[in-house]
Amino acid sequence: MSVLTANCPSCGAPISFKSGSSIVVICNYCRSAIARTDRELRDIGRVAELAETGSPLQLGLHGAWRGVNFELTGRAQMGHEAGGVWDEWYATFANGSTGWLAEAQGRFYLTFAEKINPTAIPPLDRLRLGLSVGSIPAATPPIVAEIGVARTLGAIGEIPYELTPGQTFYYADLSGSANMFATIDYSDTPPTVYSGQIVTLAELGLADAGAAEREARMVTAVSLSCPNCGGPLALHAPDRTERVGCPNCNSLIDVNQGKLSFLKSLGAGKYKPDIQIGSFAEFNGANYMVLGFVVRSVEIAGMRYFWSEYLLYHPHIGFRWLVNSDNHWSFVQGVAPGDISDAGHIRYKGKSFRIFQDAPAQVEYVMGEFYWKVEVGETVQATDYVNPPEMLSRELTVNRREGSKFETGEVNWSLGTYVQRKEIEKKFNVQLQSPSNVAPNQPFLYKSIYPYWAVLAAILLITALVTIIASGSNDVMTKSFHFEPLQNAEATQVTFSDAFELVARRNIRVQGTSGVNNSWIYVAGDFINDDTGLVQTFELPVEYYYGVEDGESWTEGSQSASTLLSALPAGKYTLRLEAQWGPQFAEPANITIKVDQGHTSVFNFLATLIAISIIPAGIAFWHFNFERRRWSESMFTHSSSSSADE
Amino acid sequence: MLGKAYFAIGLAVILLFGASSFLGWELGTPSREVLPADARGPNGYRSFHFWHYGFHGGK
Repeated sequence: MSVLTANCPSCGAPISFKSGSSIVVICNYCRSAIARTDRELRDIGRVAELAETGSPLQLGLHGAWRGVNFELTGRAQMGHEAGGVWDEWYATFANGSTGWLAEAQGRFYLTFAEKINPTAIPPLDRLRLGLSVGSIPAATPPIVAEIGVARTLGAIGEIPYELTPGQTFYYADLSGSANMFATIDYSDTPPTVYSGQIVTLAELGLADAGAAEREARMVTAVSLSCPNCGGPLALHAPDRTERVGCPNCNSLIDVNQGKLSFLKSLGAGKYKPDIQIGSFAEFNGANYMVLGFVVRSVEIAGMRYFWSEYLLYHPHIGFRWLVNSDNHWSFVQGVAPGDISDAGHIRYKGKSFRIFQDAPAQVEYVMGEFYWKVEVGETVQATDYVNPPEMLSRELTVNRREGSKFETGEVNWSLGTYVQRKEIEKKFNVQLQSPSNVAPNQPFLYKSIYPYWAVLAAILLITALVTIIASGSNDVMTKSFHFEPLQNAEATQVTFSDAFELVARRNIRVQGTSGVNNSWIYVAGDFINDDTGLVQTFELPVEYYYGVEDGESWTEGSQSASTLLSALPAGKYTLRLEAQWGPQFAEPANITIKVDQGHTSVFNFLATLIAISIIPAGIAFWHFNFERRRWSESMFTHSSSSSADE
Repeated sequence: MLGKAYFAIGLAVILLFGASSFLGWELGTPSREVLPADARGPNGYRSFHFWHYGFHGGK
C-alpha cells in the first residue's frame, strides 16, 4: 500500500492518504476536509466533531473478510432524518479493494461498490417500500426496506468520495435473503449501488472490539439528572439511547450526545410495568437487561386494544423485545425484510404465516431507554401474521417530507416466539396474571398426540395384517339339520351333530342359513367337548321379513346369521342344537350350520381402532375450539377447522 | 408427556388386540359350563339341567 503524505492546505499539519482510492482526508489538527485532485490538494470545508456513538470500532483497526485483510482507514458519520446517528467505516483491503462497514443499531453491514447499468437502478420517484430490485446481483432480488434522507455530520481519516459537510441526500436500503444487504446512494448521478451483507464482528475478526467496555458500561450505567425534576436518571446504554422516560416525574427526555432535554410529561403512573426496568433475564443463552417499557395500542372497530413491550438489550447481541399482550408473552427479534417471501402469502424459513391483524399501532406511553426517538402518538401500520408459536410482524412507516416530492419510510419485520407465562415468571421472579383468551401465536400444547395416533394406527394395521397372514382359516363342519313340526309354539327340538375336531388358539365362527320367509328360526347351540365336558354355548337367531307399507317395500333381517366365539381347547367336540321357529311352528324347519376357525374379526380391529382414537378425538375437538377462539379475535376470516399450527 | 403416556396406553391396547388375535379371543363370547361326566354321551346330553328352554325369538 503506497502512502501519499502532504501538508494540510488549511493549517499546514501533515496529512496522509494511505489508500489510493481515498479522495478526501480529514486533517487531525484543524478538521478540514482535504480533497485531492490530479493537480492539487483542496480544502472543501471543516467537518464537525464526531458524536460519541460508543462504537466498538476505531481507525486503524485490522480485520479480515474472506481471507483478505483490511484496515479501517476512515469514518463518516451520518445523521438520520428521525434524529439518530450512524457510522460508516471505510475499509481498505490488502488486495487494493475498498468497502464500507456501516454500523447501525448494533448491526454491521459490509458493502462494496457494485457496477450496475444506471438504467437498471430505480429512480427515486419510482422507489417504493417493498419494491423488488432484480438488477442488484443476489440469490433472490432484494427489496427496498428503507428510503431515507441522510445528512453528512462529520468524518475522520480518509474518505473515498468528495465528502461535503452538511450535505443531505436520499438513500435506499435493500434487504435480501440470507443477510444480503444493499444500499443505493442517490447523492451521486447516476446513483451508486453498494451491495454486501450483514456481518458480525466475529466474522470480521473483530469479535472482541469494544464489547467488554460496552458490557461494563451497561452494568454500571451512566448517572444523570432529569432536566425536568432533577431526579436521578441512569442510562444503561448511553451510546445507543435516543430517548429516556424519567421514572421520577414520568417525563419523556430527549438524549443528544449525553445532553438531556425535557420533551413532554407522560402522565403520572398511567401504566405500570410488570417487569422492572433494569432487571435481567436469560433468553436463548444470553443475559438481557430490560432497558425500556412502551405501551402501544390499536383501534379496531371502535375499540382500543393495548399491549406492552419491554426493550431488552445485550451489548454483544443488540436489542430484542418481550411483548405482553393480554397476559400472553412473546420474545421478539428483528428479521431482515429480504428473508420474508411475499409471493401471495407470507413465508419465512419454509413456514407459511396467515394474516391475523392489520391496523395502525400507536405509542401510548414510554418508560426507560430507547434507541430511537420514540414519541407518544408515534404511529406505524402494524400487520401480524401467525404460525404458532411464531408471529411475524411488519411495521410500515411512510413519511412525506415537507417540500419534497419523494416519500421516505421504512419497513421492519420482527419474529415473535410465544413464551409460556410460567417461564417469564421464573426468569424474572415475578407473579403475572393468567391469560383468559387464546393468543394469536399461542401454540396448542397437545397436538403432539396426532403423530402418536398415526404411528399407533399404523402399528395396529400391521398387527392385523400379520395376524391375518399368520392365522389362516379352516373349515370344520358344514351340515344341514332337519327339524320335525313342533307340538306348540313353546316347544323346542334338539339335535346333535357328529363329532368333529377343533384346534386350539383359533376363534370359532358359526354360520346358520335357513330359508325363513316372513318367519324366524332360533337356534341355541352348544359345543360339547367329548372328553372334558366343557360346554360353550351360543345363540343364532335367523329371521327375515319383508312387505310393502304405504307403497314402499321393506325388508328386515336376513336368511343367514353368524356368531364368533373365542377359541376352545383342542379336542373332539359335538354340536348340540336346540331349535324353535315360528310362526309356522307346525311345519318342519331346516337350517344349515357351518363351523370354521381362524376367522379375522373386524369387530376386534374396529374396537381397538376406536379405543386408540378416543383420546386423540377428544383432543382434536379441544383443538378445534382452541383455534375457533384464536381466530374469533382476528380481523380476518379463516376456517377454524384448519389449524394454523399444524 | 401426555403424548408419551397416550402412546404407552395405545401400545398396550394394540398388544391386547394382537394377543386376542393370536389366542383366538373374541369379545362377547358367552360363559362356559362343564357337563358332569355322568351327563356325557347321547343320553346324558339330552337330560342335563342347563339346556335351553322356552321361546327365544320371533317377531
